[in-house]
Amino acid sequence: MTDVPASRIRNFCIIAHIDHGKSTLADRLLQETGTVAARDMQEQFLDNMELERERGITIKLQAARMEYTAADGEKYILNLIDTPGHVDFSYEVSRSLQACEGALLVVDASQGVEAQTLANVYLALENDLEIIPVLNKIDLPGADPDRIKEEIEAIIGLDCSNAIVCSAKTGLGVPEILQSVVDRVPPPKDLIQEPLKALIFDSYYDAYRGVIVYFRVISGTVSRKDKVLLMASGKTYELDEVGVMAPDQRQVDSLHAGEVGYLAASIKAVADARVGDTITLVNDPAAEPLPGYTEAKPMVFCGLFPTDADQYPDLREALDKLKLSDAALKYEPETSSAMGFGFRCGFLGLLHMEIVQERLEREYNLDLIVTAPSVIYRVNMLDGSTMMVDNPATLPDPQKRESIEEPYVKLEIYTPNTYNGTLMELCQERRGEFIDMKYITTDRVTLHYEMPLAEVVTDFFDQMKSRTKGYASMEYSLIGYRKNELVRLDVLINAEKADPLTTIVHRDKAYNVGKGLVEKLKELIPRQQFKIPIQAAIGSRVIASESISAMRKDVLAKCYGGDISRKKKLLQKQAKGKKRMKAMGKVEVPQEAFMAVLKLNQ
Amino acid sequence: MPPARSAYLHIPFCHRRCFYCDFAVVPLGDQASAAPGAPGAASIAGYLDLLQREIAVSPAGPPLSTVYLGGGTPSLLSPAQVKGLLQALKQRFGLAPAAEISLELDPASFDQQRLAGYLGAGVNRVSLGGQSFDDQVLASLGRRHRRGDLQQAISWLQQAHGNGRLASWSLDLIQAVPAAPGQPDAPGLEHWRDQLQQAIASTAPHLSVYELTLEPGTVFGKRAERGELTLADEDLAADLLELTSTELGAAGYGHYEISNYALPGHASRHNRVYWSGADWWGFGLGATSCQGGQRLARPRTRAAYGAWLDSQRQQPVAAEPGLLATGMPLDERLLVGLRRREGVVMAALLADAGVEPGQVPGHLEQLRRLLAAERKQGLLLIEGPRWRLSAPAGLALSNAVLRKLLDWWEHVGPSPTGSGPPGPGAAG
Repeated sequence: MTDVPASRIRNFCIIAHIDHGKSTLADRLLQETGTVAARDMQEQFLDNMELERERGITIKLQAARMEYTAADGEKYILNLIDTPGHVDFSYEVSRSLQACEGALLVVDASQGVEAQTLANVYLALENDLEIIPVLNKIDLPGADPDRIKEEIEAIIGLDCSNAIVCSAKTGLGVPEILQSVVDRVPPPKDLIQEPLKALIFDSYYDAYRGVIVYFRVISGTVSRKDKVLLMASGKTYELDEVGVMAPDQRQVDSLHAGEVGYLAASIKAVADARVGDTITLVNDPAAEPLPGYTEAKPMVFCGLFPTDADQYPDLREALDKLKLSDAALKYEPETSSAMGFGFRCGFLGLLHMEIVQERLEREYNLDLIVTAPSVIYRVNMLDGSTMMVDNPATLPDPQKRESIEEPYVKLEIYTPNTYNGTLMELCQERRGEFIDMKYITTDRVTLHYEMPLAEVVTDFFDQMKSRTKGYASMEYSLIGYRKNELVRLDVLINAEKADPLTTIVHRDKAYNVGKGLVEKLKELIPRQQFKIPIQAAIGSRVIASESISAMRKDVLAKCYGGDISRKKKLLQKQAKGKKRMKAMGKVEVPQEAFMAVLKLNQ
Repeated sequence: MPPARSAYLHIPFCHRRCFYCDFAVVPLGDQASAAPGAPGAASIAGYLDLLQREIAVSPAGPPLSTVYLGGGTPSLLSPAQVKGLLQALKQRFGLAPAAEISLELDPASFDQQRLAGYLGAGVNRVSLGGQSFDDQVLASLGRRHRRGDLQQAISWLQQAHGNGRLASWSLDLIQAVPAAPGQPDAPGLEHWRDQLQQAIASTAPHLSVYELTLEPGTVFGKRAERGELTLADEDLAADLLELTSTELGAAGYGHYEISNYALPGHASRHNRVYWSGADWWGFGLGATSCQGGQRLARPRTRAAYGAWLDSQRQQPVAAEPGLLATGMPLDERLLVGLRRREGVVMAALLADAGVEPGQVPGHLEQLRRLLAAERKQGLLLIEGPRWRLSAPAGLALSNAVLRKLLDWWEHVGPSPTGSGPPGPGAAG
């Protein structure tokens, strides 16, 4: 690794909608520059979490350093900084954009621009990034690059006269992309003489070396023997390693302004080196940190309980370990008479919640009950105090409270105009307040609503997708709290209150939700050997009820010599399935039932 | 472990595959027959050679007291072919005096003369695959025969039984059939009561009444997956089970196993072997044998079975009877044993499974507690040493009891790493 002047460094990222081919293109760039030999190429190199591969989306961003000899014969360092592609992680996106001077805007040449892309493009424009439009999947029969170029020009106001058409799959257009990064992305400012300021844009936990911090040096130089200060956390560390991602980590002696790299310093948890924090030198500190650092703020809360009470210590240990690599995860112990010991957990959004749940089950082999997600309510008490409630079961009684406020979001839906009607109907059902509708092209619109967050974090996204055959996309951001007529809706199973099924709903919707909920539970809870009444109630008033009849038949009709092994396996499998249920009093309740409130419309 | 005294022979040939069937069968078409030159005849003859070979290379054993020729449609075989198979068994093992020799027959696949031939060959018990007395139901099950064929077959069997040449016979019925195409609902309670009355009127001394089981890959399984099958709902299915037990009970049939009913003295001796935990021989493709409690399922295709048979010849794996003395594991003995009216002697099963005598009372106590709710509900009856499920309520919910028992045994029983009693069931 040689010292490269800032003039020959280019830092860029790729902005793309989920399946528009970002990862494939990234792979192709690594291959084209010889950073990764073809034979070592795993598909989609940058997404290296198993979960990310399966979902085809990038959750944790990564970076790669490439060497590229441009048309002028000079060798350039190109740093590709990957960005996560989901609304739950928009803060992380903004930090990685801040680490770049340019961005490739990758758009599917047949599908056009989506809301998520749009949101990130605006972020990139705010960060003053040079944006290079790239039309991908040009090899597909439906590709219509001219139409999509017009669309990009109309929507984003970006000049597409020198947009690049490519096929990440076949490699067409990839050399042109590399050359245009050199030509069009500005080099970083040469601030090598100033005190060190480096922006953390990602970090992860390594069991042997502690937290590995990914950063971009904005000014000054950082060397292997330095002692650094993290300005937001206030912690100081002696560095163990400084290096670059090529794309495997390779140690170097120092990195200077404009460069992208990683460091290891036996940092115990990612919370100590949060994304957005500024690294400086203890001996020669910067006067002030880089702008834009914020704490992770969980928006969605749910209860996590082990199906088997014996697994509680394992769950605690697993959460402690996950926390080392997930600074946004918040949790505290929760006890419920119905569910026993568990944790109340806070997440950035629904995807984040699902990822944590899946990692706990997969990597730590835990069987979990996850309760329906809740937002955080502000409750104004009669005595003038306020309390924040993230667990519906703990909402104070009506006679003690003056009012309840709930978080609202600004919601933007981006859709072909044929779906306006059905989406407006959906937003209406979800208590959305219509703000405006803008035609972006002749056949695409943005719908702008203000809506309670609680309505968004249920199955809104799935509903939107299914109503528009997947064509609509959305973006939301918190805009504050508003007072509403909210009530606590309790569920009683076999006459016992089931805390984890308690929800907070608008008074006008309580009856419908209650009715839907008991019907859904009747469907999801299997028959047992006795009759089970299921009720929904506000306070002591029952507003809906159903009952599950006693099971009367559960038998294998045939069992002769050749059947025994198969029937035994079948029964053993069923027995295991039963164990995954949670006993609420005498009633065995399957995992899905705790999420019933999310499935009322299915 | 006493050596096997029962043999099952699998005859895989059928005219067609019925919509619910997932057995190892080889459909030969509606015109098939064993007559020389007829469609399928060569196939049948070739297979019988293999079956003869398997019997011949089997280790010897004591004379057989039950033989069962099942399928498939064994009535596709000629009486001479049946005789040949029985002779092979006689040669290898011998047949005990008064051995029960059963043959499965399908209506419309035999006539009175052929029946006489089978009886002459040594068959003394027949199991008739009637399934239903309703033409619409028969058509919707994919059966080849119709009500008239069934009635005729019944009259021949009645005659043979009446004149003493046929010791016993059984009629199969399928319960809880789906709605026939074009019908909105599955046949209801009254339809089933009528079916039961016709079954009783047939005077069959034994009735096997199987609730329809949907098996993946069958026509019904696929239709159900696509949501095209209208089945009896759980309540109707439970009502049907109850009705069967009460109606047949009132007509003098004992409910001696979950799906089997018999007049006194007519329970199937052969099938009782499977539920007792004893060993049996199995011959033919797809057939399962049980030696020393270890089951062995033969390959389900003709080619694989032939190849397997070749390998047997060079190195017989079915060891000498008595050499493997481990017996059927406890959980399996419960699985089959509790299907019977008489249930099981729990302490004896525990002892057989290798539980130390000192531990048996503790285990029994654990089990009583585990199944307290089922006892309170009257599903499980403990009468002296005997544990049994009540008929019909306990039998109808037997899976609930079995799941608990299987799960319990998985924890206290022998396991490769476990700490339970080093039961012989761990072998293999």
